[in-house]
Amino acid sequence: MATFELYRRSTIGMCLTETLDQMVSGGVLSPELAIQVLIQFDKSMTEALESEVKSKVSVKGHLHTYRFCDNVWTFILQNAQLKSEDGQETVDSVKIVACDSKLLTQ
Amino acid sequence: MASSTTSNVYIHVIEDVINKVRDEFINNGGPGESVLNELQGLWELKMMQAGAILGPIDRSATQKSGAGGPITPNPVHDLNVPYEGTEEYETPTADLLFPPTPLPGTAQTPLPGMAQTPLPGTAPTPLPGSDSSSLYNIPTGGTPITPNEYTSTNENGVPEQPPSAWINQRPPLDVNVAYVEGREEGDRGAPHQPTTQDFFISSGKRKRDDLPPQYRGGGYIPQQDGAGDNLSDEDNRSQDLKVVQGGNQQMFVQVGTMSSRIPQLDGPIPDPYDDVLSTPNIYNYQGVVNEDYNMNTPMPNEMHAATPAPVQNDTGDDDDDDEPLNEDDDDDLDDVDQGEDLNTTHLVLAQFDKVTRTKSRWKCTLKDGIMHINNKDILFNKKSISIVWLLGISQATGEFDF
Repeated sequence: MATFELYRRSTIGMCLTETLDQMVSGGVLSPELAIQVLIQFDKSMTEALESEVKSKVSVKGHLHTYRFCDNVWTFILQNAQLKSEDGQETVDSVKIVACDSKLLTQ
Repeated sequence: MASSTTSNVYIHVIEDVINKVRDEFINNGGPGESVLNELQGLWELKMMQAGAILGPIDRSATQKSGAGGPITPNPVHDLNVPYEGTEEYETPTADLLFPPTPLPGTAQTPLPGMAQTPLPGTAPTPLPGSDSSSLYNIPTGGTPITPNEYTSTNENGVPEQPPSAWINQRPPLDVNVAYVEGREEGDRGAPHQPTTQDFFISSGKRKRDDLPPQYRGGGYIPQQDGAGDNLSDEDNRSQDLKVVQGGNQQMFVQVGTMSSRIPQLDGPIPDPYDDVLSTPNIYNYQGVVNEDYNMNTPMPNEMHAATPAPVQNDTGDDDDDDEPLNEDDDDDLDDVDQGEDLNTTHLVLAQFDKVTRTKSRWKCTLKDGIMHINNKDILFNKKSISIVWLLGISQATGEFDF
């Protein structure tokens, strides 16, 4: 089953990657096993997001860049306002990377 | 900082991943349970450091016990705790370190460091022992010779102060010491200044405003014309350091020519100072002999500082000016890089269901995403909609439906 490696770029994903790299460099962990851990992380992360409490987020801003390549949308917004249930955030620039959700279902 | 919900979700994800890879770790000749625990511990530690997880993990572990029951996080934390413990115990360890060393030893550590620096400089010069006592404020005559002795004798708090004062005085005097080196003063019962002044008397000839006397920096105004005259005329020309000994013949160190040549060293620099020098500010050793000397006197330290200054500035400016100009040009050209750099600050990772555009208005339907905004992690689920406007650009390419 293919997984989205998308979430490896998140905070939790980066922490895991760093930890695995550290352990592989130290010879404690084999690279193959590390890759398996990452794949499992992809699955677990996707499942967790699906089962997580639903929350809506709205984003508005000025589109600076848009890119669609390999079924991946990449947007760069400027002066963006992100409204969520927790509150509203305003940032000068934000990058949005989105993969096609249909790839997983297929 | 992550909210409690996101923190819980992350913890749940970590637990889930660990549980599902446990089989691979244990079976098939994997690294084993300990490695798995280490992995989990490090992962959670990094998450906590990043602020993605709130609170101690123990709670979450207990709450989520599940498969993690048999494997309590405690051992994991135990691995970490010792490290943390060591951190906490840093002070006691430090304390432990101190007791083994005797108090005098501790006192010695600073002292030798302090004393050594000045001492070596002073050792060769008898001055400290002899004349400069007043200047250096050495409590005891014998102190300057050997730092070890000094420390040994005055182990307790006593040495601290005198060396400090002593050391403090030294730096300014170091310059002078160079001049003084040549001297061996048997006769110096007089204070340092007068002795040095004697040396510079030869330079006294330099009446002119030129800096040479400044350069000497000693700023010591030669009081005795006789000795100075002999040396000044002929010797002055040579920039060699001259050491004058004895009352009659005074060894003095002269840097640069006294009278005529003075400008050689600091030529340009001293000029501005000349005006400043006119007023005897710093060193008014004598207000008597020559006004010129007075002019020079303030310079000594300043002059020395001046010489390196211009040189450094000249070399440094060129390099600094050239490099940044080039660097700036490169930075401005790369918009893409800037865009990519922006990613590190605020990032949204999600899956899209639909991306549409109407003229300049884009609509994207995202789901199952993680937003990292302002160092905060926000998770959103299905049916979240993001609307994006593209201002000022209208496109006729149509919509993108997927």
